[in-house]
Amino acid sequence: MLKMHNIRKSYRTDTIETHALRDFSLEVNEGEFVSVTGPSGSGKTTFLNIAGLLETPTGGQYLLDGEDVSSLNDNQRSRLRNEKIGFIFQGFNLIPDLNLFDNIDVPLRYRGFNAKERKKRIEKVLEQVGLSARARHLPAQLSGGQQQRVAIARALAGEPRFLLADEPTGNLDSLMARQVMELLEFINEWGTTIVMVTHDPDLARRAHRNIQVVDGQVSDLQRTAAPTAVEIA
Amino acid sequence: MIGYYLSLAIRSLRSTPILSSLMVAAIAVGVGAAMTTLTLNYMMSRNALAEKDAVLYAVQLDSWSATQGVDNPSEMPWQVTYQDAVSLLRSDIPTHQVAMHLWGGPISVEGSEIRPFVAGARVTSRDFFALFGVDFIYGGTWSEEADSSPLQQIVLSEETNEKLFGGENSVGRSLNFNGALFTVVGVTEHWQPSPKVHDLNNGSFNNSAEVFLPFGLHRQFEIYPWGNNNGWKAEEINSYEDRLNSDVVWLQYWVQLDSPEQVEDYRDFLTAHIRGQKAQGRFPRPLKFGLTNPSEWLQLNEVVDGDDRMLSWLSLAFLLVCLVNAVALLLAKFLRKAPEAGVRRALGASRNAVFSQHLVESGCVGLAGGLVGILLTLGGLGLIRQLQMGYMDRVAAMDWTMMIAAIGLAVLSSLLAGLYPAWRISRTNPSVYLKTQ
Repeated sequence: MLKMHNIRKSYRTDTIETHALRDFSLEVNEGEFVSVTGPSGSGKTTFLNIAGLLETPTGGQYLLDGEDVSSLNDNQRSRLRNEKIGFIFQGFNLIPDLNLFDNIDVPLRYRGFNAKERKKRIEKVLEQVGLSARARHLPAQLSGGQQQRVAIARALAGEPRFLLADEPTGNLDSLMARQVMELLEFINEWGTTIVMVTHDPDLARRAHRNIQVVDGQVSDLQRTAAPTAVEIA
Repeated sequence: MIGYYLSLAIRSLRSTPILSSLMVAAIAVGVGAAMTTLTLNYMMSRNALAEKDAVLYAVQLDSWSATQGVDNPSEMPWQVTYQDAVSLLRSDIPTHQVAMHLWGGPISVEGSEIRPFVAGARVTSRDFFALFGVDFIYGGTWSEEADSSPLQQIVLSEETNEKLFGGENSVGRSLNFNGALFTVVGVTEHWQPSPKVHDLNNGSFNNSAEVFLPFGLHRQFEIYPWGNNNGWKAEEINSYEDRLNSDVVWLQYWVQLDSPEQVEDYRDFLTAHIRGQKAQGRFPRPLKFGLTNPSEWLQLNEVVDGDDRMLSWLSLAFLLVCLVNAVALLLAKFLRKAPEAGVRRALGASRNAVFSQHLVESGCVGLAGGLVGILLTLGGLGLIRQLQMGYMDRVAAMDWTMMIAAIGLAVLSSLLAGLYPAWRISRTNPSVYLKTQ
């Protein structure tokens, strides 16, 4: 499903070059639930952004569902992101001005579905996350856990094959976190591949496989993060 | 997706009413100022004879001095002499032709309670109405004989007929004009070309004539025209006959030539006329005449002068300043919504989609700015009308063309203003906002 080989990502300012990922190689199989852990600044989010086609790697090869995405242009990457990838964020990232229905509608609009198809999908996913009765509510009228369920519904509406979750329970209390985790596990059981970045070792253990990222590289060992910034000036 | 973008734009604008109002105001003020001056220029340069532009020609004859220049772009006198006008009227080439000038005098109806008033008159030949497309409510033009013989026939404008006869059919009725008794032979429909293309010598935007009189009355009434009389040589003029035979130019001359053959024949006729006059010692300069259609005639006469054009450029510069403000406001608004754009990018929106969405929002600002701008323009034109400059009632008015132009200018301006902000927002890195939102 996802295959990264020697991915490198560096950010450059006038005086500093920061290596966020260095020879990062990872393979995630279809249907897997993989958790990614590591200290702050280790490159977890950069990995997630590259995996989600939000950023392009500086070097290396990335195959998504067998397709080399390294050379795709923005339109192609956006289409692929829309069709194959679902995002769940720590901060939910719902659009505050839009009600739940319209929030879930956003990716479906870019997919080009007609109104009938969009409505059918939105109602289906709202039912799946148990928020059908709140379709016309604004995000601010919901609890954190409910908002994250809406975000999950939005990610699922396009029926993606690949779900990327960036600390999806980071802003939730333990009860809500458990509910969200159960929902993700349920989604995974239905065949969706999930890669979840988390700081929580308990949640990480519930995944099929746990990958530790340290200093921008995949590592089995936890160690103190070394500086990743190299002065070049 | 345009419908979707429109709904997002309206939602977005409503969510920030103060900022949205400021952006609309910036566009509206710029458009209002620009459209006020552009409307004045447009109305002033409008060709009221556009329908007959292909067949009407103002006639100029270069009868001027060999040594003195003529201070106008055509380098020929705008008007012709009486003796030339009479000679040209003898031609049977034009479909219609008119010699004319402005005059006036007190007018009254015997036994009427209406007090006498001074009416502006156009002394002209009977073809005037057919040539300029002036329709009649009652009656028609005077007899052919009246163009060469002193027949006291008169045509009234609709407004004058209303004043004197309460709008009734006055054909056959008598009235006093300049102390003489005239018989009404026709009443024209309202006719007020603006600018007054047919006579730009006597105020391009002045009122049209209130009455029309036959060309054959000159000698009987010793008519001295109102308006410009220009001469170039010291002539001894001791009698009215001397004046009619002088080289003073004071008549406007127009012809209607319906075909290229007619134009060619008329050119030959004018050439022959000038050669004939040269043989008699007149027309000292090289042979030259002008046949100019109405639209070129307006340009040649510089109805819209340099100051008016400068004012238009200044107002467009002001619009530019307003646009720069709009760019800054749009940029502030769009960048504030960068996190939402980041979410949309993550959910599958391409850069082009984000760019288009924000450009549509800019267009909506422009549309609203255009509508408010029209109101400001109407207000501005209303203020100008308050200046009581007479013709401003006709010139300081907005027609549908200018209203559509105002909307077009506003939308185009706002799209231009929105280009950079929309581009900026579409190029932001979504991952930055997804983490920090």
